[in-house]
Amino acid sequence: MKFSTKSEKSNLYGYSNWRYKAILIVVVGFLAILVIGFIGLNFGTIAIQPKKILSILWHHKTDDSLGLIIWELRIPRLIMAMLTGMTLASVGGGFQGILRNPLADPYILGVSAGAALGACSALAVQYTAGLYLVPFLPVFALMGAFVAISLVYLLSRKKSHLPMSDLLLAGVAVNFFFSAIITLLLAISRRETRSMLFWLMGDLSTSSWNNIYWISLPVFLGIILLVSSSLELNAIALGEEEALHLGIQTEKLRLKIFFIGSTMIAIVVSFTGLIGFVGLVIPHIARLLVGPDHRIMLPVSALSGSIFLIICDTIARTIIAPTEIPIGVITALVGSPIFIHLLKRRNENNGY
Amino acid sequence: MVTDFKPIVSLEDVTFSYNHHPAIQEMNLSIYPGQFIGIIGPNGSGKTTMLKLISGIITPQRGNIKIFGKDVRKIPRKKMAKIISMVPQESYITYNYKVKEVVFMGRIPFINQWQGETILDYQISQDAMKKTDSLPHAEKGIHQISGGEVQRVYIARALAQSPKILMLDEFSSHLDLSYKYEIIKILRESLKEEIQCIISVFHDLNLASYCSDQLILLNQGRIEKIGTPQEVINNYYLKKVYHTKPNIIQHPELSIPQVIM
Amino acid sequence: MNKRIFISFTILSIFFITVLSVCGKSSDGIYPITLVDDLGSEVIIEKKPGKIVSTAPSNTEIIFALGLEDKLIGRSDFCNYPPDAEKIESIGVMTPLNLEKIISLEPDLILAYGGFGTKDIPKIRELGFKVLVIEAESITEMLHSIEFIATACGIPEKGRELTTSLEERINTVISLHSDIPDIEKPKVFTGSGFETIWSPGSGTIFDELVTLAGGKNITENQQGWVPISSELVIETQPDIIIIPTGSMNPEEVTKMKNDIIKRPGWSGLPAVKNNHIFVVNEDLLYREGPRLVEGLELLYEIFHKIRKE
Repeated sequence: MKFSTKSEKSNLYGYSNWRYKAILIVVVGFLAILVIGFIGLNFGTIAIQPKKILSILWHHKTDDSLGLIIWELRIPRLIMAMLTGMTLASVGGGFQGILRNPLADPYILGVSAGAALGACSALAVQYTAGLYLVPFLPVFALMGAFVAISLVYLLSRKKSHLPMSDLLLAGVAVNFFFSAIITLLLAISRRETRSMLFWLMGDLSTSSWNNIYWISLPVFLGIILLVSSSLELNAIALGEEEALHLGIQTEKLRLKIFFIGSTMIAIVVSFTGLIGFVGLVIPHIARLLVGPDHRIMLPVSALSGSIFLIICDTIARTIIAPTEIPIGVITALVGSPIFIHLLKRRNENNGY
Repeated sequence: MVTDFKPIVSLEDVTFSYNHHPAIQEMNLSIYPGQFIGIIGPNGSGKTTMLKLISGIITPQRGNIKIFGKDVRKIPRKKMAKIISMVPQESYITYNYKVKEVVFMGRIPFINQWQGETILDYQISQDAMKKTDSLPHAEKGIHQISGGEVQRVYIARALAQSPKILMLDEFSSHLDLSYKYEIIKILRESLKEEIQCIISVFHDLNLASYCSDQLILLNQGRIEKIGTPQEVINNYYLKKVYHTKPNIIQHPELSIPQVIM
Repeated sequence: MNKRIFISFTILSIFFITVLSVCGKSSDGIYPITLVDDLGSEVIIEKKPGKIVSTAPSNTEIIFALGLEDKLIGRSDFCNYPPDAEKIESIGVMTPLNLEKIISLEPDLILAYGGFGTKDIPKIRELGFKVLVIEAESITEMLHSIEFIATACGIPEKGRELTTSLEERINTVISLHSDIPDIEKPKVFTGSGFETIWSPGSGTIFDELVTLAGGKNITENQQGWVPISSELVIETQPDIIIIPTGSMNPEEVTKMKNDIIKRPGWSGLPAVKNNHIFVVNEDLLYREGPRLVEGLELLYEIFHKIRKE
């Protein structure tokens, strides 16, 4: 084997710095989140000066109403937005990988419909059964989500296989079926319709430190597991058989990503409702910025998702204050033009 | 032609059906090292199925397939990937990876997730790209190059995988004439180096005749004839399998049969 | 028949007053009080509330009726009665509740509403605020909520005073038509007028008002708010059509009336033929506050007039 010439060597080593690149991106990303998060703290119905915010943060004041607003309303919301954005974007990227479908989003495999059905059922039953179930909504949503996950898995499993097309079809079928029931519930329960709609369009107003403690660990663990499958996700992009020939156990990979991703989504969505578009659009933006190599693209996706959702949440709660627009509306309104723009660019460049 | 006593690929009484439709029937075959094997036959005769059986992607209902004496069913996927690599006929890559990234993926079976890739991995990739003249395109996206260039990238990737057995499924359909010769030359050269045998499916009988040391002619899932191109490409077998009687001439320079329309 | 209603009404009132006294540990305003609101949540009020936020017009009206308006520091956008209510700072819409705004007012007590869903309540309680969720679905429950709020604010006697006078008015109306047989009661229809007609059936406040005022709600055999067909209306041939509305602009009123008249098949209804279509301020018929009694009296006037004809 002849050794490479100087210029070829630089071509050769064009790859080797990806680890440093990834670490740099993560650090920069977190700094960006802090900065944008702080900016977000300045927005809200009640005007609080940045200096005051800094002093409230520094002294951890919660005794007066301003401190309460910052520490118990705005900060938990921002952190929740960060965690949710991170989850949606990385799972979206993961699903787009295993399904080999750029139009996949984290909800395509039925989890969200299950969570929605759980939450809406609880709300619907609440009135007729005379129970007060709102504080336990996340529990019901989570149960619904796991029912959906199990259903999708059982429907798509063939002996010990998990074929991709069947996974997709099962997910879509479960989505349709559950959505039909949800629509029925919406139609017949007058009183809780508004709550249901808010949940279905995404609602970060119920964010609390308690929720954050519950979801942080699964989210970070899940993202690490997803990122660790990057090489395999790269391989499967070449094709099902090609990946097999590269030594990837594609069905195990699918199972792994499906369960990890769905669990992450279930946990997050149970608290926040269905926030759309993030999981679909952000991975594409990440690919546009850093290329499709999952080792870099997934972390970038996660960070971009966080930033995007923090910004959307800030817009959602300030643009027509004192009323709040459901965040799912903002992500769609902001996300759609971005997505269309991306598609146009993609067609012009014939790919990223 | 170097023959060893032990076959590196052997099929023993292999039968495989897709949904009760028999694709391979009671096939027995031994492939010895140092050979370029061509598989030819009409559509549906089981050519691609054979490749998949050998690499273990599909499992026969009956019979055994052995690679280097070991039952394919007992070889884990990852280990198999270090032995066999495959150039597909066609493939759609979902995302626009760069050429150099696609070729580099051939190293995946050798890369430890946590230790990461080594300089050797890069050198092997680069070498593979050099052989297939893909270096000028290294930074371009795979969706942005022509069909022929894509095919060369796939070949580079399969070479980067440092296989002992290289399998190709109709590798030349989009290649320019000049590249056809180049690639065949590179493939034959690699037979003298690390690759111990090459198995390629051909639709083009002339190319099969040109490249192969041994030809396997398939007919409805069975081996009709194994032999040198001279032994296989003749009127008797072509009539039997293809139901046509083309003109067969001798190549002006090499002593191989060529089919004329 | 109406005597029974009269008696059961009085008995129920006594019952609720008793229940209330049991619920509230004290009936003379000594704090802390433990109360159970309409969600079934136990709330301990430690001291007499000096700053109250109301998230619903019904609660606001009750507060004014109890004379507690000087303690009201926040109200919803929709709280428009009495007119003085609009001078009080607004906290925004009823759902979703603007938590920042509510917190910034630092209320001692928040009177919330259950009718549009309760998703924001856990969060406010989590932050340490006292929230009582009120949801009245009948006149009796409305009276109960008056006494409930009065007790929470340390003036239970005032509450009882108010409910007693309201009950008197109710009983008066009942007695005015107690001798009239069922057959002669005018059939009344109300409903939202769009593609699907939603009409209040039995168990709704409107149905109760109509019955107490001496009329017959054509959807009294159905439970709750139900979607009904145009055909059902034609079939039952109502004598009176009530249009409850928030906007009392005369042009819009006329337009509404005309829309009804023009509905296919409705021109033959007695209500339409005799022009017995009445536009009524919906706040008197739907808002779960003391003005429901005004609505009752208004309905009685309408029915009485019709029967006289």
